[in-house]
Amino acid sequence: MFPRNASETIPPSDSGFTSRISLPARIRANPFVRLAAIWEAFFVALGSLRQNKLRTALTLIGIIVGVTAVIAVVTIIKGLDQTVAQTFSSQGSTVFTISKRPQVITSREDFIKYNRRKPVTQEDAEAITRLCTACWRTGVSVNSIQPAKRGDQKVDAIQVRGVSPPSMFEIDGVTIDAGRFWTESEGAAGGDVCVVGPDVVTNLFPNESIDRAVGQDIWVGGHRYTILGVHQALGKILGLSRDNRVYIPFATYKKRFGVDFSGQSFSPSGVLVVFIQTQSADQLEAAQDQVRTIMRNRRGKTFKDDDDGFALETQEVFLKLYSSATSNIYLVTIGVAAISLVVGGIVVMNIMLVSVTERTKEIGIRKAVGARRNDILTQFLIEAVMVTAIGGVFGVLTGFGTAWLIALAIGFPLLFSAWSAVLGVGVSSIVGVVSGLWPAWRAARLDPIEALRAE
Amino acid sequence: MTETPIATATATSVVTKPNLVSPDGKIQVLIAMQNIWKTYDMGAEKVHALHGVSFEVHRGEYVAITGPSGSGKSTLMNLIGCLDTPSQGDYWLNGKNVSEMDDDELARIRNQEVGFVFQTFNLLARATALHNVELPLIYGGIPSAKRHEMAKQALGEVDLTDRMMHRPNELSGGQRQRVAIARALVNHPSILLADEPTGALDTATSYDIMNLFEKLHEDGNTIILVTHEHDIAARAHRVISIRDGLIEKDEQIK
Repeated sequence: MFPRNASETIPPSDSGFTSRISLPARIRANPFVRLAAIWEAFFVALGSLRQNKLRTALTLIGIIVGVTAVIAVVTIIKGLDQTVAQTFSSQGSTVFTISKRPQVITSREDFIKYNRRKPVTQEDAEAITRLCTACWRTGVSVNSIQPAKRGDQKVDAIQVRGVSPPSMFEIDGVTIDAGRFWTESEGAAGGDVCVVGPDVVTNLFPNESIDRAVGQDIWVGGHRYTILGVHQALGKILGLSRDNRVYIPFATYKKRFGVDFSGQSFSPSGVLVVFIQTQSADQLEAAQDQVRTIMRNRRGKTFKDDDDGFALETQEVFLKLYSSATSNIYLVTIGVAAISLVVGGIVVMNIMLVSVTERTKEIGIRKAVGARRNDILTQFLIEAVMVTAIGGVFGVLTGFGTAWLIALAIGFPLLFSAWSAVLGVGVSSIVGVVSGLWPAWRAARLDPIEALRAE
Repeated sequence: MTETPIATATATSVVTKPNLVSPDGKIQVLIAMQNIWKTYDMGAEKVHALHGVSFEVHRGEYVAITGPSGSGKSTLMNLIGCLDTPSQGDYWLNGKNVSEMDDDELARIRNQEVGFVFQTFNLLARATALHNVELPLIYGGIPSAKRHEMAKQALGEVDLTDRMMHRPNELSGGQRQRVAIARALVNHPSILLADEPTGALDTATSYDIMNLFEKLHEDGNTIILVTHEHDIAARAHRVISIRDGLIEKDEQIK
């Protein structure tokens, strides 16, 4: 009758022994302790999720909805941003404009001030062409919306763009798909010719190829024009087509619709805009300085005048304005979408609390055989994170899917980034940790005696 | 009262470590309870579950703790099993002063030094017999291959080799209790602590389990049995009777 392990557990002659053995040191010294318990926690969590399929499914849905909302919103916003950026840079970073008033006016006072300015004219454009050495190409353009028809086919609103010279097509970033642009002399003559966008062909020549449209006549704003060519599709911006256009020579436009030189606030005809393009981006600043000087001279402005009397704008300025105007809206939108993720987190917390209550006895048993607080905490945290991480993966997929459907409906390119997928799974896992922490902590702190008594 | 010649546990405020080995080295003190008090704060009044209990258990002993319900024997068992700490007094288990330990240190002691057998078995319902037996080894940090081997061996010792992959609901009461005993023994603890181990079993199965305890005792295990049944207590070699939070009787019967 002798103990199994007396020799290893009884220290010899230990009458002077007064201090406790440092247990944490012993635990840390064993590299398998954490690993074994974590594996156990992992399989227990997996088993628990499998055991309560309906509950797991409902929790998953909570998280999936949240992640879907966030991922869809982020993806759509990124897509929109990219589209806007591409649209405004289609003319390139070498283009800037001179016009009577800027594209964006933020106050009534400014609006009145801008309207008092002298209009920008074709003569201004010619002066710039003549005097600006850093400039490469100059063109003028004027826009208005007009109805169009061909036979029985009618379109209520079409963008009519009077441009000159023909190199203005290149500044606009427009290339020909079928037919040709007009020549310099044809343009100067003010002939009734036009270059149309592919949408115009689709609308006015249903079921006909673009080649068939070339050489035919259409009516725009009550006048007849012969189609010389069809330009290549430019795509949509914010759901608005840029291919529903009719280009006509500036001289023709002036003759037919007039150009607003009057200074009226809202004239039915458009306002002249001078487009200037440099050969490379690094010449842009020099060109802008030259053009500003030329224009100020022509307006008789001295250094004392604060106001130029015209607006010099690059597309980048507009893009910056767009970003600053929309970034707050985006943040709010993402924030609102994130609320559903918070709700998902609360669902997880609720379920975890139920799970802890249900498994009080199990926790008691585990503690009785030596599970430490951390072991129990880890077990429930792993369970919570497992649900939310799986929910995150599905949420990213459905989020991308939702964004794809919306993009398909509105019509803009989509950007599926790995970054946002990682973000979606990461954020949902963090939601798991945050919402699992309190229930897990409650489980870890359970008194083993009380826990064992539970049923 | 059985006076042992080894230790004189004095109830003073100074922590005194008892001598653990007799001068001839033959008797080793495994448990030394020194003036243990357990007080529960029930709001206005304090309830004393134990009023200064002192006793020792030597390695290899087979002790039954008996007493009517409310006598404090469950409280004592929780203290011996390191599920709880005393309000006052010192408890030395295998040379360690358990009364001063925190939760995690107690968990470690439960894992290494104590093997529990409960009245209601307390097995994990969803886990196989093998996994249930492995549980203490998991929290003891034993690598899985070694774990399997140890758990299989422990199940073999209680004659359940052919039931290893069964879940508790596929086992009879006696088999469940044997799984629980295998779990209690798998880590080679210093003491095997059984709380009414036959309380949920029929008479025949009860005798089987008691025979198993006897065999384990003959193998050298130290066993402490808590029971209110006299015939069960009579199987032990020493009986400690508790009444009103005090030791009423402590007698060597074999």
